[in-house]
Parts: sequence; structure tokens; C-alpha cells
Amino acid sequence: MEESSSCVQIQVEEELPTLLRRATTEEMLGFDNYKESNLPLPHFVSRFHHSHASTTNLSGQEASREAMEETTPWMMPKHQRKPSLSMPTSPNVLMISDPTSSSSDSNNNIGGSTTGKSVKFISQPMAKVSSLYLETGNDDDDRYHHGHHHHHHQSGRLQNQNPAMHKLKDHRYNSFKTWSGKLERQFTRKPASIEPETPNRAKENLNTHEAMPVDRYYDALEGPELETLRPQEEIVLPSEQTWPLLLRYPISTFGMCLGVSSQAIMWKTLATAEPTKFLHIPLWINEALWFISVALILTIATIYLLKIILYFEAVRREYYHPIRINFFFAPFISLLFLALGVPPSIATDLPQFLWYLLMFPFICLELKIYGQWMSGGQRRLSRVANPTNHLSIVGNFVGALLGASMGLKEGPIFFYAVGMAHYLVLFVTLYQRLPTNETLPKDLHPVFFLFVAAPSVASMAWAKITDSFDYGSKVCYFIAMFLYFSLAVRINFFRGIKFSLSWWAYTFPMTGAAIATIRYATVVKSTMTQVMCVILCAIATLVVFALLITTIIHAFVTCELFPNDYAIAISNRPRPKQSSHHRWLDQLRNVSSENIENYLKFTDSDSSHSNDLEAGNNGKAQESDSA
Amino acid sequence: MESLVVPCQEIQIKIDYPISRKKRKYTNLADAEPIVLMSVLSSLHAGYFRISLSLCSQALLWKTMVHLHSDLPSMPSYLLWYLALATQVSLCFLYAFKCIFFFDLVKEEFSHYIGVNYLYAPSISCLLLLQSAPLLEPHSVLYQTLFWLFTAPILTLDTKLYGQWFTTEKRFLSIMANPASQVSVIANLVAARGAAEMGWRECALCLFSLGMVHYLVIFVTLYQRLPGGNNFPTTLRPVFFLFFAAPATGSLAWNYISGTFDTVAKMLFFLSLFIFVSLVCRPTLLKKSIKRFNVAWWAYSFPITFLALDSVQYAQEVKDHVASALMFIFCSISVLIFLGVMLLTAANGKRLLRRDPVLWSATAPNDR
Repeated sequence: MEESSSCVQIQVEEELPTLLRRATTEEMLGFDNYKESNLPLPHFVSRFHHSHASTTNLSGQEASREAMEETTPWMMPKHQRKPSLSMPTSPNVLMISDPTSSSSDSNNNIGGSTTGKSVKFISQPMAKVSSLYLETGNDDDDRYHHGHHHHHHQSGRLQNQNPAMHKLKDHRYNSFKTWSGKLERQFTRKPASIEPETPNRAKENLNTHEAMPVDRYYDALEGPELETLRPQEEIVLPSEQTWPLLLRYPISTFGMCLGVSSQAIMWKTLATAEPTKFLHIPLWINEALWFISVALILTIATIYLLKIILYFEAVRREYYHPIRINFFFAPFISLLFLALGVPPSIATDLPQFLWYLLMFPFICLELKIYGQWMSGGQRRLSRVANPTNHLSIVGNFVGALLGASMGLKEGPIFFYAVGMAHYLVLFVTLYQRLPTNETLPKDLHPVFFLFVAAPSVASMAWAKITDSFDYGSKVCYFIAMFLYFSLAVRINFFRGIKFSLSWWAYTFPMTGAAIATIRYATVVKSTMTQVMCVILCAIATLVVFALLITTIIHAFVTCELFPNDYAIAISNRPRPKQSSHHRWLDQLRNVSSENIENYLKFTDSDSSHSNDLEAGNNGKAQESDSA
Repeated sequence: MESLVVPCQEIQIKIDYPISRKKRKYTNLADAEPIVLMSVLSSLHAGYFRISLSLCSQALLWKTMVHLHSDLPSMPSYLLWYLALATQVSLCFLYAFKCIFFFDLVKEEFSHYIGVNYLYAPSISCLLLLQSAPLLEPHSVLYQTLFWLFTAPILTLDTKLYGQWFTTEKRFLSIMANPASQVSVIANLVAARGAAEMGWRECALCLFSLGMVHYLVIFVTLYQRLPGGNNFPTTLRPVFFLFFAAPATGSLAWNYISGTFDTVAKMLFFLSLFIFVSLVCRPTLLKKSIKRFNVAWWAYSFPITFLALDSVQYAQEVKDHVASALMFIFCSISVLIFLGVMLLTAANGKRLLRRDPVLWSATAPNDR
């Protein structure tokens, strides 16, 4: 708690770099003194940030006024009015905005939407002080866009709690915007002091144009879906704020389309197939679901298209994410599902060119992904293999199924062959759980249900290609059933996992298994198979329903449907500390043999434990040195 | 003072006295023609059989084309066959001499993880020659004898190599697997095709299953690209084309075994097609190796020839415009590449025989 402004100044002075000249309001003569007036404070809106020490000094009066609210000297209070600064020379334009609106801006806890007003202060800055502005402006650039300071380490500088100026907030997301706010800059006049920041901006643009190596993703993220940020990592976007919706909108949202459109197919099969005719399922369920899925796909695709247009950098980062890349297949698989589940009342025979059109994106994506597995640098399969890769394989089988049901011959066999060959490789790799594989979840996670998807769809595709549910299809079907049951009996282990939208993508394997069972029951007619049909369809429907409820709860009740997408905001530069990969190597080199036993005890722990290990080993090393 | 314990290490120093002397003479004359047979022999290795492989497979392709389209002249295919025969015979003789004079070099080649695969290459070439022979009847005794003569080395090498993969510690597949390992698979599949041509279905099936099972294992291992594996030298990047040669040969073999180009054969053909397109779409992969001519460039030729052969069979079965277009494209690519590599070899003749490609740096000749 600070009592006098002089205390504030002294303490803050220690923080200042010597290059900057501390300028307090007391020093500067002729500074407007707003203590007496009742006017609302003018706001200097620029790239000038308040948490910087110099600002605190320049608005020492404000700081002293709000000193009661400060807990630490360098921390800016949460609910403060924006500190003001006015030049000795009378400004040309001084725009005064409502302090109440600014304070509502400062409450960043409420959604991150920027207010429409952006206040600009245009004047001739003083020579002495202008250097201050330039320094701090550049520093801000550095801080946000290059991440020089560790947001997490410097807990004192809780910049994110400060009221961000409108322009400042925009700039922080600029590195992700497609045109980096250039359009905005054209339309708004800037103070001359902001000019020097453009070289920084150009630098940061260059930074974001190079592809992020896959190592960065593995170093910075953890978790079965590589979504959680590791504790020491820094991100290039503010972590305390809620980002714009488009930045929080992951590609895994397309999983919803997968889930719903596969349900449409299932209800169509239930209504039309022989084994389930006794249930008398009406066809309108299929029609309703189909129309819902069409609407859903259109909505989600539009939003994601907006994201591509406006925030291309974020899309690029998702593309290079080792797990999210597989979700890029999801929209096209959903389109295939739509074609498969089209209600009989709308279209019975689809034109053949449609199949070629739908499969063309698959070819392009697959050439890229499978080629990377075979020969592409760091993204070798032994490293990046994860259950989500099944999404890249299933598309082949779904395309084969669709093509065969359309009457094509060669194309389906092509995709079946390619899919089968690569599925074999992926299956073996995942079963091996190679030690070099970092993305395999240690515990069970709904992503494992994707294992069931490929064989069940492959069995259906092969049955359609060969016009009979023969041995090949039966073998694939039984494999799918075995995997399903071995996961279903472990259902208890699935508890306690954080919900995410990608869970929708993990429901379509269950639906696929149900449809495959119906096809199997068509050939092998017995009560047992019919019972299995009903049970599996019921399970699939229940799961989708439960997921729907959970999604609605998250969307409207807790508003957590789209949390901040940290996975795309990791910085491109490696941490100052070594990566966890080689950390143990260096530890082993540094520590003596008696510490190796200690290390071996902790070998199974994850990186957070190894942090403690580092501290423990350093401590022990010091002991052994002193002994 | 503690006595220093020097770790004992055996260092083997091999002094190749007479050869190195002669070699040193030639390093002084940088562009002198290799006139002594010895230097030719010491720089020859099994990888040179890629040349005969390409020639023989090309002869097979031309023979097949002539058979299908009887309006094509058969003289070029005969000539090519004789050329291939001549090349194969001379290479075999040279390699036999090398075995006599430089047996230790041959032994080293056998123990090298890349070089050992090319020991299959002479047998493959001979089998291909046999299958493309203009006037030899598949059911004749001569054909059968020659077939067994050429298949025996393949089977021996198989037992040795494949057995070592899963029994001993010498050649761990996770470390030894490299794209050149597919040559062994191709050998089995070509032998299967030859057996099927003779009408011996069971033998053909046996060889086919042998090849396919090991192909499965190699395919998975190579796709995984386990980090413990040795790095593949950049100059040998053309060997990546073997990735699509193996399924193409499998498809050819199955075509003969089952009589028609059925679904399995089609699937193998499509897989080979996909991998081909995937490799062609990655020019950066091969860019580094194209800088300087190397005998490894012959590795471009015969995989495409196999793919072309396959597409010919496919077009025969599926009488489609797309299939015929594919056949035309692949045959022309194959002929063009073959002629191109031949011309380049003729132009770089000195470099071909003198330079030892970066096959293994452990046995680098002294003129490096």
C-alpha cells in the first residue's frame, strides 16, 4: 500500500532502464493539472502502455490518486481511469472520451470485444518526451509481438489487466490478421510518433511467414490433442483476454458436422435396411437430420472461411499443428457423408462427376500428408503418429463407399488401395506406441474411438465394391467390433476429461460401427445380429444426444464453447531453457551418479515434474559441490 | 599416482599396397582415362547392375508392346534385347573378376546395409532377360533350367537376409531398413512372375507370398522412418523410386498368377500410381541428387519401366480411355527417361567408371 506519490516514484525508478528519462508531472511545468477540474480526463490513445514505468511516472498524479487501490507499486490497478497526458503546447485536436466507457473497457474480464470508439490524439509531441513515446511504443511492439518478456515470469507486470487502448488491442492480434491491419491503417490517421514501429511490424510479418517446425508444437504443447500450453511457454497473444471469436474457432469444429451427418446416414439405414425394418423407423428423422447437417456445414464452413480470409496466419498455424492437420479432412468427409445420407425423397442417383469433385481435395491433401510421412523432414510418422491420423485415412474408405454405391468401379478401388496401405502403416505404428511418439495420450481419451472408424467403413466399402459381404469385409468388420468392445469396457477410464468440440468427431466411429453392423446383419440373419444392431444404434444415438446437451451447456450456460486457442498462439522462438527432449540428457551429464538414481525414480513423470527435478538436482549438485 | 588405465581398442589397419600405389598415380592425372582393369574392378560395385536392370526391363517393355500391338516393328526390341544381353554378360564377367581379385571388397559390400540389396540385381536382370527373350518358349526345358539357375541365388540371399532380420542381432530391420531394401522384394516378385509364366502356380504363389510379406514389413518400417535408422545418402535419392516399383511388380506378378488383372492386382497398381504421383510432386526430394551424374541415376529408369509394364496390363484389362492414356503416358515417360539416362551415361563415361558414388564412406577409395 502506497501512501505518497514519492514512494511510488522511487520504487518505480529502480525499474526503469537508464536510457529512458523519467518525466513526472511534477517536473514538467505547465502540465495540465486535472486535480482541480471536474472535466473528464483526456485520453492519450496511442501505442503507449500504462504499465510501463515511465507511464506510471508521467501520470504520477493519477497513480497517487489511485494509490490506494494498488497492491504492488508497479502493478496498475484494475479499475482505473486511463492516465492522461497533455502536451505543454496546446494540442490541435484533443478528443475526450467518456471515462465511464473506458473503464468498462478496462474490465477485460467481460468478453474481449473492442468498443467501436477509437480515440486518436493528434498533436506535436515534445522533443524530450517524444523519445520516451518512441521507446515505449517500440517496447510494446517488442513485448507483444516478439514475446521478449515472459508473461508468466514477470508476474508483476500484469499488463493484461490494464485497460487496453482500442488500437493497442487491435495491434496485438495483427500478427494473425491476413493483412495485418494495413487496411485499418489506411483509414485512420496516426500520430507521427507511431511511424518508427513499422519496421518492427515488417519484422514480425517476416517472422510469421516461415513455417513453424513441428518441434515447436511438441515443445510448447501437451495433452492428447496437443491443446494445453506447457507451463513455461509464452504465447504471442494476450492470455488473460478473450480473443476475437474467429481466432478461437478451431478447425476441429468441423467434427460437429461429422457427428451429425453420420447420424443422418445411420437413421437412413435404420429406416431402409432389412434387419431393422421391424422397428418401423420413419424416414423423416433422416430428412430432418440431413437438413440440420447441411445447415451446420454451411454455417461452420462460412465462419471458417471468414477465418481464412481474415486471420490466415492462425489457419496456417493450425495447418502445421501435428494433430489439427488431420481435421482439415473433416469438412470433405462431411460432404461425403452428406452425399451418402441424402434422403431418398431428394435424390436417389447422384451424378458421377460429383464424386470426382468431392474426391479431388482428398487427393491433394493426401499427397501432401502421406508424402510427408514418407519423406518430409521432421514430420516422420514415428514421431507424429496419433489416433487423429485416422481421420486422414477414413476419407479414403468413405470415398470408396460412395463411389461404389454410385456405380463407379476403378476410382473406389484406387482409394481403397491407397487407404488400406496407409492404414496398415498407421495401425502398426499406433499399436507399437513407439517411444519416439510424443502425441499418444498416456491415458484413455475419446480420440481412441477413432480406431474403430477405419475398419468399419472399410468393411462397408469392400462390401459395396465386391457386391457381397464376403471374407474381406467380414475380417474388417470383426476387427472393428473387437476394437469397439475393448474400448467400451474401459469406459470408466474416460471420466474426468475436459470437454472440447473435437469430441464430436469421435462419435462418428460409433455411428459407423452401427451402420456396419446393420450391413452385417443383412447378410448374417439372426436374432443376435439384430439385437446388436439395435444396441449399437442406441448407444450411438445416446452418445450424440449427450454430447449435444454438453455442447449446449458449454455454449449458453458457461460460455466456454470456444476457449482461447493457445495451440495456435505459441511463439516461434524456442524457450530459453532447453527443450524437455534433451533436458534429461544434460541433466545426466551434469549430475553425479548418486543423483541418477533420483532421476530414475522420476523418469515416468511428465515435464512439470522434471522441472522439480531440475530444481532438485541443482540443489543436490550444489550440495555435492560444497561437500 | 594412480596408473592410467588405457582402454584397449583394436584398430584394424588394412593396407592395400599394390592397388593404392597404382591409384595414387591416377590421382595426379585428374582426367586420365582408367586404362588399368584393376581400378575399374575396384570401383565397380553391385549398384552398377542398375544399368542392366534398366536395359532388361526396357527390353521386356518393348517386347510386351510388340506383342500387343503387332503393327509395331519388332526389330528395335530384338536389338535392345541383344544390347541388354551384352551389357548383362559383360557386367557379370566384370563382377566375377572382382570377386576373384577383390573378394574382400565384395564381402564388405555384402555387409553394407545398402549394398547388400543390389546383390539381387544380377539375378533380377537375368530373369528379366529370360522373360523377354524373343525366341524362347516358356515351357521349354532350357527356360526352366535357366529359371532355376537364376532363382537359386535369390532364394539363398533371401534365406540369409530375411532370416537375419528377425533372428540375429546383426541386421536389425529398424536400423537397416532403407529404400533399397525393396530390391529384395522386387527380386522375389519377378521370380514369381517368371514361375507363373511357366505355369507353376504353387511355386509362383510361394515366391509371391514371400515377397509380399516382407514387402509389408519393409513398407511399414520405411513409412515410419524410425529415428534410429541410418541416414540415406543424398546421392542415392533416386532409389526412392523403388517405393512404387515394388507394388507395380507385385501387380504384374499377381496378374500372371491369377490369370486376369483382378482387384488385388488393380489395388497394387493404384498404390504404385499414388506413390509415383506423390514422389513426382516432391521435386525438392530429388533436387539435391540431380546435381552431378551418378550411376544411381539409372535407378530412375527401371521403376518407371515396371510401372509402364503394369499400366500396359491394366489397359488390356480395362479397355478405357483413361487406362489407355495412362499406358501411353507411362510408356513414353519410361522410354524418355531410359534414353536420357543412357545419353547421360555416354556423355559422362569417365565419371561413371572412375568415381565411386557415395555408397559407403567406410570403403572410400584413396582417390577421394
